[in-house]
Amino acid sequence: MSRAGNVSMREPDATPQAGRSARPPFIRIEAVHKVFAARQGGELKVLDSIDLDIAENEFVSLIGRSGCGKTTLLNIIAGLDAATSGRIAIGDRPVTGPGQGQGVVFQQHALFPWLTALGNVSFGFRKAGLPREERRERTLELLRLVGLEAAANKYPREMSGGMQQRVSIARALALDPQILLMDEPFGALDELTRIELQQELLRIWQARRKTVVFVTHSIDEALTLSDRIVLLAPNPGRIQRIFEVPMPRPRSRTEPAFNALYDEIWSELSS
Amino acid sequence: MSARLARAASSLAVIAVLLAAWELAVGYGLLKAYQFPPPSKIARGFAELSLTGFPTGVSLWAHTGVTIWRVLQGYVAAILLAVPLGLLIGALPVLDKLSAPLIVFCRSVATLSLLPLVIVWFGAGELTKVVLIGYGCFWTMLSNVIAGVRYVDPVLVRAARSFGLQGPELYREVVLPAALPRIFAGARMALGVGFMVIVGAEMIGTIQGLGALIMEARTFYRSEITIVGMLVIGLLGFLISSGLAGLERLLMPWASNLDQVRR
Repeated sequence: MSRAGNVSMREPDATPQAGRSARPPFIRIEAVHKVFAARQGGELKVLDSIDLDIAENEFVSLIGRSGCGKTTLLNIIAGLDAATSGRIAIGDRPVTGPGQGQGVVFQQHALFPWLTALGNVSFGFRKAGLPREERRERTLELLRLVGLEAAANKYPREMSGGMQQRVSIARALALDPQILLMDEPFGALDELTRIELQQELLRIWQARRKTVVFVTHSIDEALTLSDRIVLLAPNPGRIQRIFEVPMPRPRSRTEPAFNALYDEIWSELSS
Repeated sequence: MSARLARAASSLAVIAVLLAAWELAVGYGLLKAYQFPPPSKIARGFAELSLTGFPTGVSLWAHTGVTIWRVLQGYVAAILLAVPLGLLIGALPVLDKLSAPLIVFCRSVATLSLLPLVIVWFGAGELTKVVLIGYGCFWTMLSNVIAGVRYVDPVLVRAARSFGLQGPELYREVVLPAALPRIFAGARMALGVGFMVIVGAEMIGTIQGLGALIMEARTFYRSEITIVGMLVIGLLGFLISSGLAGLERLLMPWASNLDQVRR
């Protein structure tokens, strides 16, 4: 596996306005509300007027306590869930469902257990109508990208949690999506594997030029990865504050700037 | 390896000691032979059953063959009906809601309590026995097939939807394979039910079959024959269950939770 340190890091953008990216918006989220029917009748407000623009190739993290609707917001961008009201668009096209350039990486255990690593990754190609040979070729290339070529014929149950999430990332990249939506993908991994995969993700993000929306509950993780961190407040889920992360990558957890931002986010979270 | 051998040897020794104690207890008159036939008598019963048969002319192997054939007919018919029906009900939540009370009710009715009614419908012949076995297997299988497709991990469905799969394609490519372990577990449970029902189903209108053998032995106070019948049924169930488990491992090498679903 290649190390993040070997890869040239992108310079941070010239200080944009908080909340809006300096570059033209690529994902536009406008006045999005989401209401679920509550169990005892009545309604449960999950998202309350979310406004957010995300620029192309930007890495944005959504962070917040459970119940702040971060996963719901991700699902809405993915087209897997519909907003109750509001507009959401990728480029110029309103999001009406999956397959508009979104690739999704889920939490653990989202690989199809009856398919090998190869089968899982090439599952993404099934709609692309590629000839068998090319499909296999591209699948192997993706497995190579995540450093798992040797595990191509392993079933998910034969892989460690870290390997499974690598396969998940490769699978999400199958249709070469412009956007990578990630729902706490490293949340269940041990600390060392998590750091390894964070570096790996940054490398892939650099190499493949993706726009990433990353849901996490770890401030540390958000700070290591993101251009911007969107802090959501719960009940109902709404944007509490947006933080710019100006430090160049690779970032060290011991930098003063890293720690200062960490403290700032933490005090905002616990306020 | 040697530890495993030692463990096997010691559990065999425990069984041997128990059997010897049983034999001696009957020999000294502590247990009555017609209530607790000693191992030696059971062994003689086994020899009689295999050679001359009980009732005379019907050997143990004939009984076993007849029973297996009856169970198989009822079981296979039940599976052939339950799998497509379960897949249909599981695919349509409305059907599932409508049918759930009926299925729970029918599954809970002790199969043998239907015996008198089934005799009235189908007479006291072969069909009645097969129908009873089929009934028991069917509801067990049906509820497992429905549960299998209804309770597929939602994250797998979302993952498939994120690649644009929906409707019948989503069902075929993801829901079905995800439900397979549960469907197989249901098939194994249904077979167990079949062997539980068979003894009762063979109680009337026949002198062939392990159930008939056990009832016939009861009439003549031949407890040792009853025990041989029990042992053969237990052994059959064990062998077939292991066979199915092996088949599962062969067909679904990817399933990790087989051991938890197995029982």
